[in-house]
Amino acid sequence: MARLVVLGGGVAGHTTATFAAKWLGSQHEVVVVTPNAKWNWIPSNIWVGVGQMTKEEVTFDLAPVYAKAGITYHQAKAVSINPEGSDSSEKPFVTIEYTQEGKAGETEVVEYDYLVNATGPKLNFDATPGLGDGNGQLGENTVSVCTADHAVHASHKLAEAVEKMKGGTRQKFLVGTGHGMCTCQGAAFEYIFNIENELRKAGVRDMADVKWISNESFLGDFGMGGLHMKVGGYVVSSKLFAESLYAERSIDWLIGAHTSKVENGKVEYELLDGSKGEEEFDFAMLIPPFAGVGLKAYDKAGEDITGTVFAPNGFMKVDADYTAKPYAEWKASDWPRTYQNPTYSNMFAAGIAFAPPHLISKPMKSPNGTPINPTPPRTGMPSGIIGKAVAHSVCDLMTKGENAHLHEASMAEMGAACVASAGKGVFTGTAAAMTVYPVVPDFEKYPGTGRDTDYTFGEIGLAGHWIKHILHFLFIYKAKLNPGWTLIPE
Amino acid sequence: MVRTIIQYPTPLSVEYATDVRVFDTELFSLIEDLKDTMNENHLDGLAAYQIGSYFNVVVIKDNDAFIEIINPRLIGHSGSVEGEETTAYYPNKSANIKRFESVSIVYQDRNGEDQTLKASDDLAILLQRKIDYTFGATFVHKMSKVEKERFEKGIAQKSSATLETQTQGDYCPRTFKRDKILLVSNLLTVLIALLFVSSFFIQNSASLWNFQVYSALAVVGLDIFYFFYAQYEGKKYVSCDSCQLGNIIGTVTVSLFRLCVIMLLSYYFIG
Repeated sequence: MARLVVLGGGVAGHTTATFAAKWLGSQHEVVVVTPNAKWNWIPSNIWVGVGQMTKEEVTFDLAPVYAKAGITYHQAKAVSINPEGSDSSEKPFVTIEYTQEGKAGETEVVEYDYLVNATGPKLNFDATPGLGDGNGQLGENTVSVCTADHAVHASHKLAEAVEKMKGGTRQKFLVGTGHGMCTCQGAAFEYIFNIENELRKAGVRDMADVKWISNESFLGDFGMGGLHMKVGGYVVSSKLFAESLYAERSIDWLIGAHTSKVENGKVEYELLDGSKGEEEFDFAMLIPPFAGVGLKAYDKAGEDITGTVFAPNGFMKVDADYTAKPYAEWKASDWPRTYQNPTYSNMFAAGIAFAPPHLISKPMKSPNGTPINPTPPRTGMPSGIIGKAVAHSVCDLMTKGENAHLHEASMAEMGAACVASAGKGVFTGTAAAMTVYPVVPDFEKYPGTGRDTDYTFGEIGLAGHWIKHILHFLFIYKAKLNPGWTLIPE
Repeated sequence: MVRTIIQYPTPLSVEYATDVRVFDTELFSLIEDLKDTMNENHLDGLAAYQIGSYFNVVVIKDNDAFIEIINPRLIGHSGSVEGEETTAYYPNKSANIKRFESVSIVYQDRNGEDQTLKASDDLAILLQRKIDYTFGATFVHKMSKVEKERFEKGIAQKSSATLETQTQGDYCPRTFKRDKILLVSNLLTVLIALLFVSSFFIQNSASLWNFQVYSALAVVGLDIFYFFYAQYEGKKYVSCDSCQLGNIIGTVTVSLFRLCVIMLLSYYFIG
């Protein structure tokens, strides 16, 4: 009997663990180590952040689901990996630290035969002074919608701002990215339009100034270098689509911006053209940059080998080409296919936890040398697909032996769909639905934009909004392993 | 080399917004072509997209000096102005467009070095219009709704004769001939529904039922005809997207579903 340990219970980790448990049956053991007691359908946090959904609607308890699936569950965070074992044992192991009540702080050693790292990102609030609290958590100046709890907090702050406006005080809303190297612009994009919609519903839109601040070099970049949109039969760039949407809703924007400092009611920023400025706010939701969760790795002798296993940003190295190259030489084939660690073949990384070889958007920096560009987004769809492919590979390795063929899922051969809603009403909602293929441009296969224009499109309207609703219920249903869950695609 | 400037109604390509990655002789000759074409046509700005290249390259003339702008991004903006603009894609046409009064752009020169440019008034407007081209748009995308309607009407009048037979420009029409088939089909469906309602007030409803059956067959026939004709019509317009098929299937399904519901009710109550 062999043991697979999955670190992380987000989209990638949950997909890997549940599929592996299903395919391996009772022959082998699957263990999940995740610091969270609940699973969270993160895309719907946007609706929690404007008070349209409760935390309970977007989360559920993991323990009963894992019990049903026959998965051993430790509510704990992984601290370190010893891929070569220790002096006393040949067997590789991870050291975990419990986070559940009653056991918090206790550490334990969990041995493994195969390890999947799907720890997701560390929300690196402290990368920008004033965005964090100095201890790695969200600071007091801004709000966030990255976790369900953050979103609940954001919704309270939003309600307070609405009350102030009803009392006759103008409010300034600033939404976007809190650093020059952020990803997830899509989430902030969705949030600003949901806020705008809520303000209109509350009848206080005329009392509010809404402004977007982001590290994208053009509106509608979304960390993917933009995409082609078909809106009402026209083929336009997501830039023009986004610009008309912002203009239509009277939302002003600041782009190519690195938020360099956050204070109470004020941000300082630097733009791609080198100019610096300040922006005041009453309510700000700024997405933090992501980093690896800070796992350490040690060899048999106890020497630190973190630099061998992980990239400098803390994400795990996989079968990508990490050679530093100029933008002109980036290739689709630089991107990983199997997500296997090159040093230790029984280790994989899935979802946000793997280190991408380079950016997707064009790299840019200000004349002062500050890099200001979106980092590669890895949304639910690619994370789920990668998680499933990794589960396939690990199951084959465990059942067919070490020479089993590994399954592949390259982001340069994968499409992604993104639905950004602007309001939640069944008949009044509207959403932009976008698909892009492939996520990572393949300049050799598709000269020019690197994308297949037949499969890259977007629409805006009520239909997209319904899709968002359907996805919410579908994916929570799937994640709960309700009957037929394997039939629902990633 | 002087190149042909693409003009309406020839559609602009759907390939655009391609950042230049390699700064080589191919790029330099594209820039030279842009300059030659500008000189020949007395233009003060031209985007590569306008001569059929998908690269993000713009050349503008400022006080008789060329500025070569590669991979431009509009970073800062302030103020707003509205003025009459013309563009080479729509020769002899003008429109009122709202623009930023002054802009700040970042771009790369032919050596790949980062540059910034701050501009206001006419130069700022020119830059905005050309950068829009690099992202696949003509100034139509920046028009207000009212101005757009006026502009489109002007174009439609001028070239309605050619539009009928030729592949259309960058417009996907809002109304199709196929909609008329749908209208007849819908009217027939309403008629069937009315017959069904009136059957409750009429003694001899057998003849009504016959009438309903014939009308229903006609609706089915029309829907089938619509299904094939709509696809044929859609293919005539290049800018109409691939989602059309989805729309057509959806429309036919809705129509048939409605018909089924009415006919089942009729069958149950009067048939």
